[in-house]
Amino acid sequence: MAAALELRCWGGDWGLPSVHSESLVVLAYSKFSGAKLTVCPIDWTWKTITASVPELLCGDAVVQEPAQILHFLRKQRFNADYELTARQGADTMAYIALLEEKLRPALLHTFWVDAENYSNLTRPWFASRSPFPLNFVVPSRQASAALSRILVTKGEAPLHRISEVEGKIYSDAKECLNLLSYRLGKTKYFFGNSPSSLDAFVFGFLAPLFKATLPSSTLQSHLKQLDNLTHFCDNILAVYFSAQNPNGRQPARQPSAQNPQS
Amino acid sequence: MSLAAEAFVSQIAAAEPWPENATLYQPLKEDQILLSDCASSLAVQAYLRMCGLPVQVVCRANAEYMSPSGKIPFIHVGNQVVSELGPIVQFTKAKGHSLSDGLDDVQRAEMKAYMELVNNMLLTAELFIQWCDDATAAEISRPRYSSPYSWPLNNILAYQKQWEVRRKMNAIGWGGKTLEQVYEDVSQCCQALSQRLGTQPYFFSKQPTELDALVFGHLFTIITTRLTSGELAERIKGFSNLLSFCRRIEQTYFEDKSSST
Repeated sequence: MAAALELRCWGGDWGLPSVHSESLVVLAYSKFSGAKLTVCPIDWTWKTITASVPELLCGDAVVQEPAQILHFLRKQRFNADYELTARQGADTMAYIALLEEKLRPALLHTFWVDAENYSNLTRPWFASRSPFPLNFVVPSRQASAALSRILVTKGEAPLHRISEVEGKIYSDAKECLNLLSYRLGKTKYFFGNSPSSLDAFVFGFLAPLFKATLPSSTLQSHLKQLDNLTHFCDNILAVYFSAQNPNGRQPARQPSAQNPQS
Repeated sequence: MSLAAEAFVSQIAAAEPWPENATLYQPLKEDQILLSDCASSLAVQAYLRMCGLPVQVVCRANAEYMSPSGKIPFIHVGNQVVSELGPIVQFTKAKGHSLSDGLDDVQRAEMKAYMELVNNMLLTAELFIQWCDDATAAEISRPRYSSPYSWPLNNILAYQKQWEVRRKMNAIGWGGKTLEQVYEDVSQCCQALSQRLGTQPYFFSKQPTELDALVFGHLFTIITTRLTSGELAERIKGFSNLLSFCRRIEQTYFEDKSSST
């Protein structure tokens, strides 16, 4: 805890502290567990192409990948899962696997492969936040990485074309959203009254889909119909990322923050 | 399959009852089949036995190529061919046999989440150990995978499969993992399963579901298969309730089959 924690991530827009799902997961978890992070957005720097995002720096240690970063924070005694039972911890692992398998391919497709969304929203956003000449390179590199990830994991052997898998990944994603909605029910967070790492993961995956101004997305309209999930995202934004601390730099339990919905 | 084709197949499936001559195809058991395929095949066999549906197991060297999606196992029922546990569960549901009808929405969500956990962790770990660990790949996986074919086809096919699996591992971020980390992931997955199972006979209390079949298929195969190092089996044997779970399912549904695979 002596060394300062610094997080490198993509910057924010659309009312979110970051537009990148994995960075959002780490930011949300740090707020839930009370870890003070210095947020260094990599926008407009050469790190847009060299760094793997999100990245946590603590003294000499460099940690990448959200799961590893959360594990590191827990070892530094920032633990939002302290009150979970063993069974709830097991459920957390299972639901995170569900998100990764069923929802992530569709999110990658919506933002990076769908032609209308990519050319009208994603590419201009990422290109405008990369320095010249990287603005020509960064978005297309991420798009081709997204496409190959979808094809390699979901494309079936003889059919290496994206159109064959599109229908399947979107129906899987809609089913995943429905399952999350059933599980959340009417409660505020997934396990009781205080948020945990599962809430951070769900928030990180859902918030960009909910808040981005996508020109065309059936998945976004499906999400907007699931009221409890949209209230879940809005609630976390209002309580932990309100206007007083937009970057999420102050711990969650500050009494001076005026949150009308808490 | 596209959504329209799936709906069409379901309709056709619903029209006919389960025939007596349904067959399940897998690669050759003694020489060719690998850990991950054997686990998937055993999971499907367990599921069909739990539903009380008769099926004959047939071994073919080219089963992987016959399968519509390239994955093992697949079943041939009437004039339809369906591969992989997920679609097979939907197919049997269209014919009116289902194990998870008694679950409510929240339980069904949990069941699907745990099935994804097994696929995400256990199956990926099995593939990693088979194809990304050089010792296992050279001693076991490549020779077994290519055993029905003669030179030079056997080398070409084995290396092609290895390249494909390594590409997939890189795409999902497992490319840089060490064997120790993979064993650790498997332990955590088994701990989650063990805690979810607790002292109950099945994951959802009294009746087995497709989750039980899937977990049984993977765990039983790992425990009973000899690899270059026995560490994976040892880690799983550390969870006594999972061991008794496997034994119970084996005795209940496979009592006429010999205990070793």
